[in-house]
Amino acid sequence: MNGSVSARMLRTIAAWVVVAIFFFPIYYWTSVAFKHGNDIFNRPPKLFAFTPTFDNFQKVFGISLGSGGITVTPGGGNFYMAPRVWDSIVIATLSTVLAVAIATLAAYALSRMNFRGRHSFVGWVLSTRMMPPVAVAVPMFFIYKNFGLIDTYTGMVLIHALMNLPLAVLLMKSFFDDIPSEIDESAIVDGASRFMIFRRIVLPMAKGGIAATAVLCFIFSWTEFLFALTLTTTSLKTVPVVSSTFVTSIGTAWGNMAALGAASIIPAFIFILLVQKHLVRGLTMGSLKQ
Amino acid sequence: MRVAQARRLVISDHPLPWLLPLVAILLVFTVYPLIYNIWLSFHEFVPRRRALEFVGTENWVQLWNDTRFWQSLVITFTYFAIALVFELVLGMAIALLLDSDGFGFGFLRGVLTMTLVIPPAIVGMMYLLMEDPQFGVISYLLQSIGLLNSNNPILATASTALAGVLVAEIWQWTPFMVLIFLAGLRALPPEPYEAAMIDGASSFQIFRRITLPMMSKVIAIAVLVRGIDLFRVFDYVFVMTSGGPGASTYSLSLYAWQQTFSFVKWGYGATLSLVTLVIILVIANLFIRIAKVRW
Repeated sequence: MNGSVSARMLRTIAAWVVVAIFFFPIYYWTSVAFKHGNDIFNRPPKLFAFTPTFDNFQKVFGISLGSGGITVTPGGGNFYMAPRVWDSIVIATLSTVLAVAIATLAAYALSRMNFRGRHSFVGWVLSTRMMPPVAVAVPMFFIYKNFGLIDTYTGMVLIHALMNLPLAVLLMKSFFDDIPSEIDESAIVDGASRFMIFRRIVLPMAKGGIAATAVLCFIFSWTEFLFALTLTTTSLKTVPVVSSTFVTSIGTAWGNMAALGAASIIPAFIFILLVQKHLVRGLTMGSLKQ
Repeated sequence: MRVAQARRLVISDHPLPWLLPLVAILLVFTVYPLIYNIWLSFHEFVPRRRALEFVGTENWVQLWNDTRFWQSLVITFTYFAIALVFELVLGMAIALLLDSDGFGFGFLRGVLTMTLVIPPAIVGMMYLLMEDPQFGVISYLLQSIGLLNSNNPILATASTALAGVLVAEIWQWTPFMVLIFLAGLRALPPEPYEAAMIDGASSFQIFRRITLPMMSKVIAIAVLVRGIDLFRVFDYVFVMTSGGPGASTYSLSLYAWQQTFSFVKWGYGATLSLVTLVIILVIANLFIRIAKVRW
């Protein structure tokens, strides 16, 4: 806005300071992951001057940093979390695939076909997004118990897919709306069937949108807490739920927890950078286009 | 002629097969739980007989007379309002600050995105450590500038616990607002600004008379999407305070969850979660009407 050099300088400095304040907790948490216990429990808190250690990662992931480079030894112990990370990845991936598949089909119809009650249908899909998870989790807990779905991938995949469906449908619809429907119409003139148009023409054109939808579904499943807490008990657990394992009667294993937390951010962050172009559209369920 | 024919075909195609999987899963996982919740709210689990018994409107009467319910309603609304105001104001201020093509600004926007991908439960844990009365970096900072007494741990003092939770909430979700507002700001047309500059308007006037009105749709959507989540708050309070100390951080969702799973009050828990649902639906739909948000 303002052209003067000093005003621009001031703005740049202010911007870096503000972002640094927001970044600080992430830095601090990551530093805890590399700290020995006595450096964590120190007053005043140690921010920069500490001897880094890889012990926390070794305990949590079995990864150790020796003279021969990085070695991975799958270990036991209560705090060995690699299987839980695997659980999270499986649930997030499969629920994403399911949600995106169902949503893409439905979104195509909502974007292209004129039928009575289409607006109310979109409204209904949106209103399912307003359901508090607790209102779904309580009944689902009893149903899952009856069907033996507690602690199963199937159960978690279904519930996370459901949770992501409103977002995925509305978002995919907005991406389909961007593709001119004349393309469909001319293909129909050439004798193509609806499904063929969908598969051969519209889907490839919406690739970027599908990727963005998938990334957001993945992240929301990855970070989800209440369903995972309620519908899993022992043999299956996701990363957010398992973080409470580190709180024990003899104190909290902050270093180990931080190692898990720091590692859990990385894959999600890389994913989200890949679709940054569509991020705002995704966060607003397709209602704002960048 | 051929175009008209094609158009007819497009319109006459039946949407049912396309929508069926979605409808099926939404019916099973939202409509069924809703009905089950309503049914459950007229029953209660009787531990002695290990069975659900019909209790009529007892749960609803209990709800009306339950001071803890009203308290958690007030706490949820307080949390909702404070978080929303802070996230909106801070979000707008930071978005205006970052709305520049200068060197490094793209990087800064990317860094802000990081907070959004951390599981809220883990964010809660992060702040639990940072607000630890002895070793926490936030507590240390506040104590050393004299704002906090070391005898009053942030999360274990009734008057400050909610603020302690809100810090985590606002930290994680202000960048959400920043990203949305930035996108809105970047899409604004330049002409009104040029005209205002010529007329010699101050930058506050420009913001108040041009930016804000043109951003109203963006703001409305941000409020709706964030507001829905704020009202269902569970993760932070569950991890950081479990509702305590006393009942100073009990959100509706947490209260409903604990009634069901900690106190085996299945019927009452269902009643509470139904009330939460109805409040959200009513407020959100009113808001959609009033702010004319469209999908």
